[in-house]
Amino acid sequence: MSAKIERDAQGRKQARYTPWLLLVPGLLWLIWFFYLPLYSLFRMSLSTKPSRFAVPEFGWAWSNYSQAFSQYGAQFQRSFTYALAATIAALLIAYPIAYVIAFRGGRYRNVLLGLVVVPFFTNFLIRTLAWKTILGNQGPLINLLHTIGVLGPNETLLRTPIAVIGGLTYNFLPFMVLPIYVSLEKIDPRLLDAARDLYSHTWRGFRKIIIPLSLPGVFAGSLLVFIPAAGDFVNSYYLGNAKTTMIGSVVQDQFLVQNNYPIAAALSFVFIAIVMVVVAIYSRLLGTEEIA
Amino acid sequence: MIKGPNGSGVQSALVSRRGFLAGAGAIAGGALAGSALLTACADTRDRSAGDLQISNWTGYIDPRSVAIFEKQTGIGVEYSEDINDNNEWFAKNQLVLAKGDSIGRDAVVLDDWIANRLINRLKWAEPFAPGVLKNKANLLPELSNPAHDPGRRFSLPWAVGITGIAYNRSVTKRDIRSLDDFLALDSPTAVLSEMRDTVGLMMRAKGADVTQPTAASAESAFALLEKSVADGAVDAFTGNDYVSDLATGNLGAAFAWSGDVAQITRDNPDVIFVIPESGGLIWSDNFVIPKGAEHRVNATRWIDFFYDPVNAARLTAYVQYISPVVGVAEELAKMGGKAARLINDPLVVPTPSMLDSVANFGILNSSDADAMDERFALLRGAA
Repeated sequence: MSAKIERDAQGRKQARYTPWLLLVPGLLWLIWFFYLPLYSLFRMSLSTKPSRFAVPEFGWAWSNYSQAFSQYGAQFQRSFTYALAATIAALLIAYPIAYVIAFRGGRYRNVLLGLVVVPFFTNFLIRTLAWKTILGNQGPLINLLHTIGVLGPNETLLRTPIAVIGGLTYNFLPFMVLPIYVSLEKIDPRLLDAARDLYSHTWRGFRKIIIPLSLPGVFAGSLLVFIPAAGDFVNSYYLGNAKTTMIGSVVQDQFLVQNNYPIAAALSFVFIAIVMVVVAIYSRLLGTEEIA
Repeated sequence: MIKGPNGSGVQSALVSRRGFLAGAGAIAGGALAGSALLTACADTRDRSAGDLQISNWTGYIDPRSVAIFEKQTGIGVEYSEDINDNNEWFAKNQLVLAKGDSIGRDAVVLDDWIANRLINRLKWAEPFAPGVLKNKANLLPELSNPAHDPGRRFSLPWAVGITGIAYNRSVTKRDIRSLDDFLALDSPTAVLSEMRDTVGLMMRAKGADVTQPTAASAESAFALLEKSVADGAVDAFTGNDYVSDLATGNLGAAFAWSGDVAQITRDNPDVIFVIPESGGLIWSDNFVIPKGAEHRVNATRWIDFFYDPVNAARLTAYVQYISPVVGVAEELAKMGGKAARLINDPLVVPTPSMLDSVANFGILNSSDADAMDERFALLRGAA
């Protein structure tokens, strides 16, 4: 009897440690590949350089943060404005696509999903360069817009904020479509039948049933588009001009051209902090607990 | 073997293994190894002969030269086109070089100003191997004693270029002769993302001396550039990608490098290169052996190979930048066909009047260079 009690106690003890043991590989991975690089980046952000080509030395240089923010405030603002615009545009495009695939796709559902994803098997850079051709002065779109008078004779599309936001929207669109689709696909169609039985018209059913139940997908999709779009530098480089530079371009420039690792690291940390605040506010406003 | 930007790594392991095998063979072979070593010395090759790693800019060598060099010398070449920007190259390799380790390359091709930093300020360049440079006498006399390397002990020009303005006549609908013409264009314009090229051209327009530049003498050029960016007279800062934009008409005009334009002009005669009335800039890309290079002798043999006018002419016919080697024009003539026609192309064989209208951007002191680079970076961001 006492042996059984002892075995039970031992089993309980083991069970208590099991979750922690299961966490070890993940924790080690996280520490090695996330927290250590993050710590290294943080140390770098507080380092100083006596000259541009000197190796940075740690020195509690908090001034790097004030310099990063004061010199590049405009790029931060621009990045988040463009990312917000791209997220809204992606949502407006993605929602109907996801809705049609989920509720009207029928047996073509997988094919339609494939059509959304297939262009993205192509390299990100190539897709952006393709947009450069589409929006370019010799491209088909510009001729059409000139012909119908949307653009004046000397107005162009390439190297404008619209081109950058368009590129961001296009490049991150599947990250909006897929989570929304997953949310919509989980909705039981009988809920809509029930709404109709109770004399609710289609729009009201959509507003009261579909939209609330798809919010987790909208939330996840918005984050998946907004965060990488805000940090992107490829679209602003190839589709924008000198006045559309985003913070990703500045970080890239400071790391690889100016060789100023401390400022680049400080900019990266400021960016992370802003993103975290924005996400926290957004999740509080949207009030969702379930993510697609 | 010519490799793309990301094709490194494997060869480094091979090098180490070959080096190890060569060493092991030398110990085991006793007298035989001794004679092999003597032979190697007489042959002026590295002990690990057959290996040479070169980094260069994209499209900066003809497709045949590597194979011809390998056949003539028995040295296997790993040729990587992985330099896109001087600063970027430095940022990637700085920490390794600072530790005194090898960057896995026996030679690199870099601009004058960064060659100066490697050679004089940081002492991160190796001198050429003695007794190997038999063709060095073919270097153009004008290039034999630059400020960054008097006597050319550490560097030799790979190619020489001119910075000026290129424009697409079908877009601009008019010719460009000066910087004022360039800034007055309605069509999109771009300047170069290399500070010395862009600020240097603007300094010339403002009448400042670019051969002895300072932050103070560049002030008016910076003011003009800042105004031009703010007004929208300058739309973009670009690297080599201005080439396709000019050819397709996405840009009306751009600050440009002569060799790039020489290549696109043949396919698109609407693209024209001019040196502004106020003057252009002349520069060279330098072949430098970085500190810690494992095959210094082979690297020296490589650059010596390209100072043979026959090999230099073949290179010039392909890359279409100005050759630093005496006798290239004659060899181009002997090649006949398209190569021979290049003799009449002033972008490849410049006329005396062209050379009179260009100047070399001098060496900045480090504090001025830092200040100007930082100011330029802010402009590129257009805060």
